[in-house]
Amino acid sequence: MHKHRRGAVCSALVIAALAALGLAASAQAKLVGEFTKFAQCPYTNAKAIKCIYSVTEKGEVILGSKKVPIEKPVTLQGAYAEPVEEKEEAEFYPFLAATNGITLSKAPQNVPGGLLGIIPEASQPALVKALIKFFFENSLTGVNSTLELAKPASEIRVSENNLAGEIGTALQMPVKVHLENPFLGKNCFVGSSSSPITWKLTTGTTNPPAPNKPITGSGGEGELLEKARILKLNNNKLVDNAWSAPKAAGCGGIISFLVDPIINSQLGTTTAGHNSAELKGTLYEASAFTVNKVNNENP
Amino acid sequence: MRRKATAIGAAFAALAVLCAMFATTASAAPAWKFENKSLEGSEVILGAAIDSSLTIPGLTTKCANFLYKVTIKNEAGTGKGEVTELPLYECTTDQPEVCTVKSIGAEKLPWPAKLTTVSASNYIIIEGVKVAIKYAGIECALGGVTVNVTGTAGGIVDNATETATFNETTFGATKTELKALATKIQWTGLFPTEAFQWHREQPLSVS
Repeated sequence: MHKHRRGAVCSALVIAALAALGLAASAQAKLVGEFTKFAQCPYTNAKAIKCIYSVTEKGEVILGSKKVPIEKPVTLQGAYAEPVEEKEEAEFYPFLAATNGITLSKAPQNVPGGLLGIIPEASQPALVKALIKFFFENSLTGVNSTLELAKPASEIRVSENNLAGEIGTALQMPVKVHLENPFLGKNCFVGSSSSPITWKLTTGTTNPPAPNKPITGSGGEGELLEKARILKLNNNKLVDNAWSAPKAAGCGGIISFLVDPIINSQLGTTTAGHNSAELKGTLYEASAFTVNKVNNENP
Repeated sequence: MRRKATAIGAAFAALAVLCAMFATTASAAPAWKFENKSLEGSEVILGAAIDSSLTIPGLTTKCANFLYKVTIKNEAGTGKGEVTELPLYECTTDQPEVCTVKSIGAEKLPWPAKLTTVSASNYIIIEGVKVAIKYAGIECALGGVTVNVTGTAGGIVDNATETATFNETTFGATKTELKALATKIQWTGLFPTEAFQWHREQPLSVS
């Protein structure tokens, strides 16, 4: 009797487990084809209008006198919602963060010249010299520069018409530059959430203050995929060389009061007209409704 | 002395080559003619495209009613003109379940036009083309975006049928192109050229 009851309970558990597995499988819809790029788009969010997936494959960021080439891909992904404001006769859409939280991927880019490039040996305080010597002796001289969002993704603005029309601001993004090296510590940044670098990237032509000169971006070559449900812009080029950057801060840990001034003197003038950003890559867009539909259609 | 004469000879030869090149270019300028007589003053051509479509890679747009009004004249023996009106109606896409045409319209009219000859064929070149297309559709990737078609269009003029044809071949021959979303697009169309003012029912030719 006891054995029978135990057997029945086991059977019920097995059936329940199988049923749960079956349910899980049927609920696990998936994106297919080119739509897989929008896996992190918050397409189930009722506010989402369009999903965006943009990969910067090359380009450069010039901060004062330092130029950092973009060699590792940087991805911007998420969605944008209904327009909230009107500027420059264009509609601007607020951004919705990627579902995995990685709206702007952190891709460390190599800073040419490494540590010596931003902290030269000559005429440094003895403590800094001694520390630098230690890092050189231990081959810890490489410096990476990582672009990070300085504010929540909701502070990003997109103008689809400016992007396609090659005029005005297409993508506005608050960023900060994280300089990384063991000597510089974990908190060496140019820009912060309270004082971000605000890029107003255009696919048209910039109008920067001197000494910078106008540079021109490109909407890229448009192509419609998946029966006109995905727009792909190849060789998209977003540019801005009218932005200003605050001073570097938090570099060198407890001796940042010594290191920050050295880095800032090496960066030189970083006021508007001395910096530049050129981001070249590929951009994909699709309506959030479509992405959700495709997801539901493919169990 | 002989060296000086050789130098002068070479200079004349170079000048002759330059003149010949210039003459080739200058001769490539046909005129508008009615009943084989050069048009004097101006005339208006009105018509409707027989078949016309515009293709951005992945999406083709067609308009059932593609009308046009062109004023033509000859200037110093060369055919000129301008497109003054281009109303477009009943436009659809080849993905009607995804993208519809919310609005479409020619902008910055008039567009200057001129005649030219390339490899013994006569062409009409239309400059400053600008057409704004707004697509709609909840699934359309271009939904809500204004797509501007801009550039220069070159079409071959056929005297026998009194038509102008625009397609990839004529764009290539005239080294013209139209762009949308920074991409070279294809525009095909067959346009009858019929006078509507002073030369009604008179055969129009270009030579």
